[in-house]
Amino acid sequence: MTDTTSPDFQSVITPPPADSLVLEVKKLNFFYGQNQALYDVNLPVKKNAITALIGPSGCGKSTLLRIINRIYDLYPGQRAEGVIDFEGENIIGPNVDLVALRARIGMVFQKPTPFPMSIYDNVAFGVRLHSSKSKSELDEIVETSLRRAALWEEVKDKLTKSGLGLSGGQQQRLCVARGIAVNPEILLLDEPASALDPISTAKLEDTLEELKTDYTIVIVTHNLQQAARLSDYTGFMFLGKMIEFGPTEELFVKPKVDKTGEYIGGRFG
Amino acid sequence: MDRALRRKIANYIFIGLCIIGTAIALGALALILWSLFSQGIGGMNLKIFTMDTPAAGSEGGLRNAIVGSILMCGVGMIIAVVIGILAGTWLAEIGGDTAYGHVVRFLNDVLLSAPSILIGLFVYELLVFKSNPLSLGHFSGWAGAISLAILATPIVTRTTEDILNLQPNALREAGMALGASQFTTIRTIIWKAAGSGLLTGGLLGFARISGETAPLLFTALGNQFYNGDLSQPMASLPVTMFNFALTPYADLNKLAWAGALLVAVAVLAVNILGRWLARDKNSH
Amino acid sequence: MPAETKSIRFDPTDPIFRWVSFSAATLLLVVLGGLIASLVYGGWPALSTFGLDFFLKFKDCPAGSGAHFCIDTPWNPVTDVYSATAPIVGTIVTSFLALLFALPIAIGVAVFLTQFCPRYLAQPLSTAVELLAGIPSIVYGMWGLFVFAPWFAKDIQTPLMIAASQDPTSWVAKLVAGVPNGANLFTASIILAVMVLPYMASVFRELFRSIPPQVREAAFGIGATPFEVTTSVIIPYVKKGMIGVIMLGLGRALGETMAVTFIIGNSHRFPKSLFDSSSTIASTIANEFAEATTDLHTSALVALGLILFLITFTVLAIARWLLSSQRY
Repeated sequence: MTDTTSPDFQSVITPPPADSLVLEVKKLNFFYGQNQALYDVNLPVKKNAITALIGPSGCGKSTLLRIINRIYDLYPGQRAEGVIDFEGENIIGPNVDLVALRARIGMVFQKPTPFPMSIYDNVAFGVRLHSSKSKSELDEIVETSLRRAALWEEVKDKLTKSGLGLSGGQQQRLCVARGIAVNPEILLLDEPASALDPISTAKLEDTLEELKTDYTIVIVTHNLQQAARLSDYTGFMFLGKMIEFGPTEELFVKPKVDKTGEYIGGRFG
Repeated sequence: MDRALRRKIANYIFIGLCIIGTAIALGALALILWSLFSQGIGGMNLKIFTMDTPAAGSEGGLRNAIVGSILMCGVGMIIAVVIGILAGTWLAEIGGDTAYGHVVRFLNDVLLSAPSILIGLFVYELLVFKSNPLSLGHFSGWAGAISLAILATPIVTRTTEDILNLQPNALREAGMALGASQFTTIRTIIWKAAGSGLLTGGLLGFARISGETAPLLFTALGNQFYNGDLSQPMASLPVTMFNFALTPYADLNKLAWAGALLVAVAVLAVNILGRWLARDKNSH
Repeated sequence: MPAETKSIRFDPTDPIFRWVSFSAATLLLVVLGGLIASLVYGGWPALSTFGLDFFLKFKDCPAGSGAHFCIDTPWNPVTDVYSATAPIVGTIVTSFLALLFALPIAIGVAVFLTQFCPRYLAQPLSTAVELLAGIPSIVYGMWGLFVFAPWFAKDIQTPLMIAASQDPTSWVAKLVAGVPNGANLFTASIILAVMVLPYMASVFRELFRSIPPQVREAAFGIGATPFEVTTSVIIPYVKKGMIGVIMLGLGRALGETMAVTFIIGNSHRFPKSLFDSSSTIASTIANEFAEATTDLHTSALVALGLILFLITFTVLAIARWLLSSQRY
């Protein structure tokens, strides 16, 4: 157990075994122009597990996710300091090939974002970017990805139809399929279920459960039950700080920091 | 070649092309502005404002054209603002969702981009051509002003509707709930709340018509002499520029450039003022 | 204390206001209707005199030319015979050439401003482009007449023609034949392109900005390069809107008068080369209307206006329809 005590706040981290980590965020600070959004955030991410990030809105959990595959680079004026160690390299250091990075660390966003093309092309989009595959190989990848995203049965007869014609839940699973088709090592999900009905949410959760055998998943959610059901490790963030991180059961059953208990107990949020 | 490298190169070529395109566009436009200023400044002096348009070889200015332009644009704008604001209000507050409202909106958009020379033809047939009871039977400042009004009205209508649609419904409901009539609500609450936006719309319309040449060619025609009477043929800056640019005389060409600079500066100033007003509103 | 009682009797202000504003809206339709009616009425004498010949007039082919049919393009105030073919062709050719030049550059500008440009530059550049879109077209026309055409004649056209004169039968020589004064189809198209460029660039920019940011993020998030994001996601996302903008630009180019009239050369025959003089509908009306000598001449010009109206109306109607059916 590491106890990083800084003058103004307490951060209690119970990391997974060191050799099981695939990525580690260390002392990360983040700025939107003049405003600091993250303060000395630490986050160890275990391989082939689901890590959940919880906390009230505005606490910085989505921001943290957007740093890991450097989507923040699209917006000038946003700046990160610290280390995100990914296989010995610092993701937020200089000389990182963003295209290669994002192929290995994929992201699924809060709102479904199908591209204006057919369902097939949506899934094949990333694959075609990063490698040249034959038609049959591509067919296979598209089918596998859609199956894993629990969407195949619903769309197999209309693969050439536009992705924009699907329902909200289907669109989101299409985005998951598109994300896993490029076979990333880590999949980041930013509140993927916030726009979905309960049935679609359940299907999506089943999908994630299955995916973790091959992928490392980091999911941001405002739904505590979802975090408790799905994840192996959970981080609780508040006001831009990682208040507590540890195995999910421990964090939910006997939190080490009072603030965590208050949030889980529903006293604020 | 390595796939990642190929993608990277394609990307850089694309970005390079976009930058070259932007450079070409801005370069061409900078050249035009440069000509405008260097040629226009040369002809600029006090006589421009104090003397009327000359015959070739004699001294003169653009006073009659400036006055004519201001008069016709002013009258045109008054007509356009009254009709445009009413029509835009009707579209936004009363009948915009009816089938008739859709037709009006669509045709207003068509009128908005209709070639301006056709407006000139129409007004010529209506107010200048003899065989017609409305017609004055000759070219006149009124005909010019009405051509400009027809050009500006669709712009004012369009911006009025857009601005009024931005006003929250709660404002309307709050007004009506106090027992105000719809007219009172619109007049004292909605129009007031949308005030600077409406002004911006008017200014953009004004900027658009103040440089228009084509519709004035055969409505106001032009006048070599100073004339403040709208029922007579009237000079305007753009038409004077057109006529003087096509003469082989260097002094008249110079006056044309001076006029072009005046018009361009006026248009830019009005546009900037309009934007500034709109921005001021957004920041509150 | 009871409020001052107010009569609940019917108050006529609202109906009056509705009626007045309804009339204002209707006036717009009346104006458009009047515009069409006046063009039809004024153009009718010419249309009924020449019939289909006004649109397309055939003539006997010169003996031995081997052609199956030949088109005549008279526009003669002396004999009072008019046919609209040449101005129609001139209008369409200049507009398409102008779009050909302006379109790629306008898209490049809009892509640069919305995707790559550093933020401190994007705002001032965008404002500059929008302000330039408001410069009156006669200023572009004067620049063409006094600056561009003389330069083009001296430094481009004359050298090209001298080079081509080595082999007068080559396709280059045919393409560049003409009077080397810079007033021709090609220069007019360039000026037209420069004029519609800022307008199209700023509308394209608006269109690209309307795309929800998360779509762009999702495409980047999967590891696409800016080039791939632009060509396979952003442009397809607003495909319909883009065609709409192109049509709007075309509508502008077709009806533009002042940018073209100065330097197209104003000849009423088929342009034989890229550097040949020509005329457009708008330039013909602008040049001749105030000085039309006969009633038939005036009527022929109004009929030209009617044709221009029909062409631009169609183009603009398609543009508006495409733009309004674009869903974001």
